[in-house]
Amino acid sequence: MRNKQILLVLSAAVILAGAMYTPAQTVPPKQEEGKLIAVLKSADATRKDKHDACRQLALIGTKAAVPVLASLLGDEEMSHMARYALEPIPDPAVDAALREALGTVKGKPLVGVIGSVGVRADAGAVPQVAGMLKNSDPLVAQAAARALGGIGTPEAVKALEGALPGTSGDMKLCICEGLLRAAEGFVAAGKNPDAVAIYDRLRKLDDPHQVRSGGVRGAILARGPAGVALINEYIKSSDYILFSAAIRASSEMPGEAVTKALADGMKGLSTDHQLVVLGTLAVRRDATAMPQIAEAAASGDKAVRLAAMKAMPAIGDASAAPILLDLLNDSDRDIANAAQENLAAMEGPKVDAAVLAMLDSGQTARQLKGLEMIERRRMTNVTAALMKATADDDEAVRSAAIRLLGSTAGADEFPVLVKLLLNAESASEIRSAEQALSGVCSRQAQPAAGGLVIHKAVYGAADGRSADVTAKVAELVKSGQLSITASNANFGDPAEGTVKQLTVDYTAGGVRQTATVAEGETLTPAAAVTPKPLLDQLVAALDKAQTPQKAALLRVLRSTKTPQALDAVRSAARGEGAIADEAVSMLCDWPTAEALPDVLKMAQTATDERVKVLALRGAIRMIPLQNISEQDKLAGLKKLLPMVQRNQDKQLLLGALGNIASADALAMIMSYMDDPATKNEACFAAVAVAERIAETDKAAVTEAMQTVIKTTTNQALTRRARQVLNKARN
Amino acid sequence: MSENKPTLSRRAFLRTAGALVAAPAIVPATVFGRDGKVPPSERIIFGGIGIGNRGTHDLNWMLPEPDVQFVAVCDPQRARAAAAKNVIDTRYGNKDCKLYHNTPQFLAERTDIDAVLSTTGDRWHALAAIMAMRAGKDIFSEKPSCMTVAEGRAVVETAQRYGRVYQAGMQRLSEGNFAFCDEMARSGRLGRIHTVRAHIAPWDAAELRHDWLPAEPLPPKEEVDWDAWLGPCPWRPYNAAYVRGGWRGHYDFHTSCIGEWGAHTFASCQVAIGCERTAAVEYHYVNNDSGDGMVTVFENGIKMVLQREGWRGSCGVRYEGTEGWVACADGYSQPDVSNPAMLSDFKKLVGDYMARTQRPMSHMRNFLDCIKSRHKPVADEEVMHYSMATVHAANVCMWLKRDVRYDPVKERFVNDPDADRFLSRAMREPWIY
Repeated sequence: MRNKQILLVLSAAVILAGAMYTPAQTVPPKQEEGKLIAVLKSADATRKDKHDACRQLALIGTKAAVPVLASLLGDEEMSHMARYALEPIPDPAVDAALREALGTVKGKPLVGVIGSVGVRADAGAVPQVAGMLKNSDPLVAQAAARALGGIGTPEAVKALEGALPGTSGDMKLCICEGLLRAAEGFVAAGKNPDAVAIYDRLRKLDDPHQVRSGGVRGAILARGPAGVALINEYIKSSDYILFSAAIRASSEMPGEAVTKALADGMKGLSTDHQLVVLGTLAVRRDATAMPQIAEAAASGDKAVRLAAMKAMPAIGDASAAPILLDLLNDSDRDIANAAQENLAAMEGPKVDAAVLAMLDSGQTARQLKGLEMIERRRMTNVTAALMKATADDDEAVRSAAIRLLGSTAGADEFPVLVKLLLNAESASEIRSAEQALSGVCSRQAQPAAGGLVIHKAVYGAADGRSADVTAKVAELVKSGQLSITASNANFGDPAEGTVKQLTVDYTAGGVRQTATVAEGETLTPAAAVTPKPLLDQLVAALDKAQTPQKAALLRVLRSTKTPQALDAVRSAARGEGAIADEAVSMLCDWPTAEALPDVLKMAQTATDERVKVLALRGAIRMIPLQNISEQDKLAGLKKLLPMVQRNQDKQLLLGALGNIASADALAMIMSYMDDPATKNEACFAAVAVAERIAETDKAAVTEAMQTVIKTTTNQALTRRARQVLNKARN
Repeated sequence: MSENKPTLSRRAFLRTAGALVAAPAIVPATVFGRDGKVPPSERIIFGGIGIGNRGTHDLNWMLPEPDVQFVAVCDPQRARAAAAKNVIDTRYGNKDCKLYHNTPQFLAERTDIDAVLSTTGDRWHALAAIMAMRAGKDIFSEKPSCMTVAEGRAVVETAQRYGRVYQAGMQRLSEGNFAFCDEMARSGRLGRIHTVRAHIAPWDAAELRHDWLPAEPLPPKEEVDWDAWLGPCPWRPYNAAYVRGGWRGHYDFHTSCIGEWGAHTFASCQVAIGCERTAAVEYHYVNNDSGDGMVTVFENGIKMVLQREGWRGSCGVRYEGTEGWVACADGYSQPDVSNPAMLSDFKKLVGDYMARTQRPMSHMRNFLDCIKSRHKPVADEEVMHYSMATVHAANVCMWLKRDVRYDPVKERFVNDPDADRFLSRAMREPWIY
């Protein structure tokens, strides 16, 4: 019956408290306060009920709840939860209740009450709390010291200062903590002189070291600009505690005066102390320190020189550039390397200008360093300077400049690059020009419609809620859209409330690939095509080129993967000599399926055994790239079987079969399982196919995976096979 | 590196300062790096508090560092302390690691310890950090590093009060993929950033439990000191599930699914948008149980959206600007980007960031370096506090089931006394800072 009465006065939340889940942090209605007070007064309420009532009162309690909560402060079981409710109630009645409790409660509850008085910063409690500084219970005395600091009135400080002499250990630390807290309060209130007085006293103590550190920091910061004098003093200190505290405090003070104190004060310090100061100067990022940093970098202790150089990119001032440039040629390799690293990391147009000036130095080593810097810094707008360098007397400079043009030049510079290739005098220059031309072709390529096949498109969430949107994506592509936005507007919403993804499996330019974008992003599944004018220039140059240059031009053309390039390579393959050999190799290694007819023909008719092998391998690779059905791909591979005799060719064939999701392909793979030379590849290929057809060809997959598990020694593959097996059996 | 010896070794300093006075490391920067070997006298002496599973993970990062010597472990659970000792002793090939049961005693006695690794449960992170720093130690504190705004502020004040080095376990601030994304945002390469997205844990809820698990007999105090385990939290009867990790999801011990990963992802997002010394000011309630989809807004107008999905790994972030976006999460081989060309600058961006900030791509190394240099590490006390303030305010938004506004300067909600009631919780005696 009594339990029933309690239930009547509990709020819904309190009713549910106990063994059942209760989202008790939900703020109860304010009118529930009376009921919660009743719970606390009830003799029958459990400890859990009362804890919950206190927790709720912490959120809605008012002055009305203070008496009953105050009555619990001396109760060891409930004292904490009473304070839990009282501390956040914004009513002076709470302070009065806590003050009264200071005189009545004992032991641990008293420690808690003192703590709450400190949190609420009740100045009226200072006399009582101050009286507890000498309490025989160390926990009470220490709590009193900290609380007085939180209250932070002059009276509280006076009590703390009076108690400090003669203390040691934890009590001394707590009194110091109180004083530091009070000083922070003074600073917050703009009473800096009062704070300085405290900090000055603490920094002169013999211990604890952390209090001395705190004293130094506070003494510097509370003085404002005048604190620089203390930095000047402590930077010379041999006492590491004082030195490091001052340097750390300086990092909290803006202004050139502080920077100057650090930069000027650094000279003559020990190596370790100089390293600390240099690190601090780096973090300050104040360029007024550059002269001193430059001086430190120029000579002296190596560790200091390295630290000084390291500070330069952090500061980021262009005046560091010539200093680092000079150090590039330092006789000490570590110094020279550090100069290079830090120069590469520096930002800004002035640094760029300094790097470009290196190209005009007339000194080969410096020019090469400059070119390296251009690349590492990924500098733009350097084409003119690089073009100029391509005419340098030194081959290494010319070659490096030509190569770099590949990452900076545009269509306008393309004719010059072609000419540079045609006129190249060394293998190095030819290689550089080839790289440059390929680079420009790649960067100038634009997405183009056509030749795009959408195999599969899925829009949905990671949890599996998704929709097959293949037809929709294909429709959008057909309508001329090169970029598809992953959006509910395009594909509906298969997974409300979550961020979805669009995954598209497609073939573009003969290359099959998969791309995924998140909802709201766009996907461009079109092949990038090199502009025709550039291709025309390459083809036209073939006629004028000598053999090495012609081979390089063909390789550039191959990199574009375009039909026009394929035609040019085919034409060259029909010729004779080294160029024809090179062109045949390129056809066999063509990145798209467009060259399949050529390689099939060569595989069957070539008289040169090397060409036959290359062509066969090219055909095995290209057949799966075609935009045809899986069965047709399999048929194409089957036609090659009479020619597949070498183990390496068999392994390549198995790799190709592994991409064909059909039971027939799996059966063909399994026929290679008994041959020690091919069983490993066969196992991998079988699992790859089985993973894709496990739900449609269960019997074949089951049998195949059992064989794989018996055959392979690869543990990861065995795990995959078991997973597929389970899938096929379910 | 220099062959010069430091002018005053840390241990030499100890001798001059008195054997009972703990002192910070004395910047043996010239010593470190000399063939990678560091004499024992120059190593940073470490102790651990609450080394559990997460702590063992941290130990595996810390112990291989040549300038670290781990000497003691303190834990109210004997078995956990013993397991940590085993890891440490195995590494050093001796039995020297000492065990402690009582944190105040541990900190008071081991004046030789320079720095502390704290990997307790969430309820103890702030108090352990405060106690350690007050005892003169630098500290690496795991996350979520405070339970309330008031606790976070107390950590900040203590670190600054005593000039201690504080690093929160927000490791992604020191990982290449995340640093790249942060730099892409900071450097303007994404244009004007308008939205960032922060991953929150896909388990648990924003609503937290307040029930007590059924009471079980208290184990012997030397096995599990239940009072110490609870620390500053409200008392409740013992149940072994708590100490085995079942404390998560309970209001007294946990900061919800938002804090679980938000402690990482909010920090990353805030650093990326230059808001690491402030917190979000607007929090828009979403009517679900997790906060998924909550939009928060910073003073600069940038939105941060809380999301449970959208990444292929844990603790993901995504930054969206007018000229592109980047995203990454744990396990990404490289960040996702709106334009593949962005990745060509990966090494340069990360390298430049390291050069500019003098920070390595190793969170623990960054902490160790800062112990010596006395600089602030990447996840210093303020980065921790302000990102956790956003976590706390987001939780309060969910608990009140309405929008809230937060003032990160006053560290109070705006004209919202009901929300202010959540800013602090009275600590249980004697576990009071």
